[in-house]
Amino acid sequence: MSSTRPEIDDLFATLGKRVDEIFDRCAANAPNFGVRKECFEASLKTTIGKYLAPASSEPLTANDIGAFLDSVQGDDLFMALACANGNERAWWEFDQQHRSYMERVARHLAKTDIDAQEVIDQVYVELYGTKVVDGERQSKFSTYSGRGSLRGWLRTVIWHALVDLHRAGHDEVSLDELTETIGEGAAHAGFAEVPAGGEDEMVERLTRDRYRSATVSAIGNAFGALEPHEKLLLLYYHSDGMKLREIARLVENEESPLRGWFQRRSATRDKDPASRIHESTIMRWLEKCYARVLEVFKSELAAKHRLKPEEIAVCMELAMEDLSGRGIYQNLAADVK
Amino acid sequence: MGNTQPNNTETVKIQGLLGGYLKLRSRRTDRDAVLAHLDEDTLTAFTEGTLSEREALPVVSHLTDCSFCRHKTVEIVRLELQFADMDAPAQVRETSEPASVANVLNGILSRIFGSSEAAVFAHEEPEKNEEEKKEEENTEE
Repeated sequence: MSSTRPEIDDLFATLGKRVDEIFDRCAANAPNFGVRKECFEASLKTTIGKYLAPASSEPLTANDIGAFLDSVQGDDLFMALACANGNERAWWEFDQQHRSYMERVARHLAKTDIDAQEVIDQVYVELYGTKVVDGERQSKFSTYSGRGSLRGWLRTVIWHALVDLHRAGHDEVSLDELTETIGEGAAHAGFAEVPAGGEDEMVERLTRDRYRSATVSAIGNAFGALEPHEKLLLLYYHSDGMKLREIARLVENEESPLRGWFQRRSATRDKDPASRIHESTIMRWLEKCYARVLEVFKSELAAKHRLKPEEIAVCMELAMEDLSGRGIYQNLAADVK
Repeated sequence: MGNTQPNNTETVKIQGLLGGYLKLRSRRTDRDAVLAHLDEDTLTAFTEGTLSEREALPVVSHLTDCSFCRHKTVEIVRLELQFADMDAPAQVRETSEPASVANVLNGILSRIFGSSEAAVFAHEEPEKNEEEKKEEENTEE
């Protein structure tokens, strides 16, 4: 069971000195922002209650909260809280520090300068907040937790705003929906086909279908046997077309848990935990995943489907044929879980 | 099972097989699952690698099933790479501060809300406490 608010308050109280240090540092860096300590503490507690506590069924510990406090972007949170409260100096500094960056991001993403300007205006409106609930203006700044950088958060907010703007003007069917329909149609068409030859061809067809069905089941189970971070790596690479350097960027932070899980058994981490992640490292991680998938795939075909090594080879050949044919996976689509 | 040591050809084949399977799986899981998507704050923290292990584990599990959120993280990483040279906030020069900060804020808001009056109403001046009021009176004297 995840921790309750009184439990969080108790744990938080044990770390009061550390919270004081963070607050004092932030207040010294921005003495005109007018953020009260209670407001700063309330924001941290809200984040702990909203994200940290429910992330696991294990009760929170002081160490969990301590690690969160160590990584929180205090100055960014301080500015966001001040802006949410409507502090003029904070707004002015925010505008000075981030506006040109926000405009560059918007111009990069938008098709026209007019769209970019519209998005920036829209984001500023959201950041300031026009909706009032229980007498309080709802600023989007209050949803920033300080877990990531303010600049990164702004980037995500702008990206979202542009997607919304684009969606508002486009009612057509998405590419994904379109390809899905095509895929399903092709699969059903495949089942409706009647073998043109006699009994021999029918037997061959049934055998091939059996191999295909076993192949899909085995590849699905082999993928399912991987750890979540390994699955995510394969999905990023194969399904989302992420490049190796892009994946390397994702794990660039030496504290990244994703990086930690991959390097857990690696000697490199022990020698130099802060070493840069190169594309070749990501390739090695992928190769390890392939090896694990292949191992489970083959053992599943052998144990569960009672296939001999030569039949396993046929399964892979058939799958390769399907992949190189005009309807990739058209025969396998119906069986995919 | 016979030979368990993968050879090069097998590895190439399993990559192709896996690639095809994963593309299809992404479309299926999206259609079948009704998922609460990750918010902007969590997406940002995940792509910056600043989540703790405790927080990252359910996020990673979510991303393996939700191609919508995964796609967002991919786009965010690409944006990060594109603007890597601008990661640090611009330095604020103290001398560049205008005489009245309120003018600047009103300028931004009046452009957004359409009139400076609306901006003035939208902007809330925090109430001054007694000490500040006395200080101001003393200064005026």
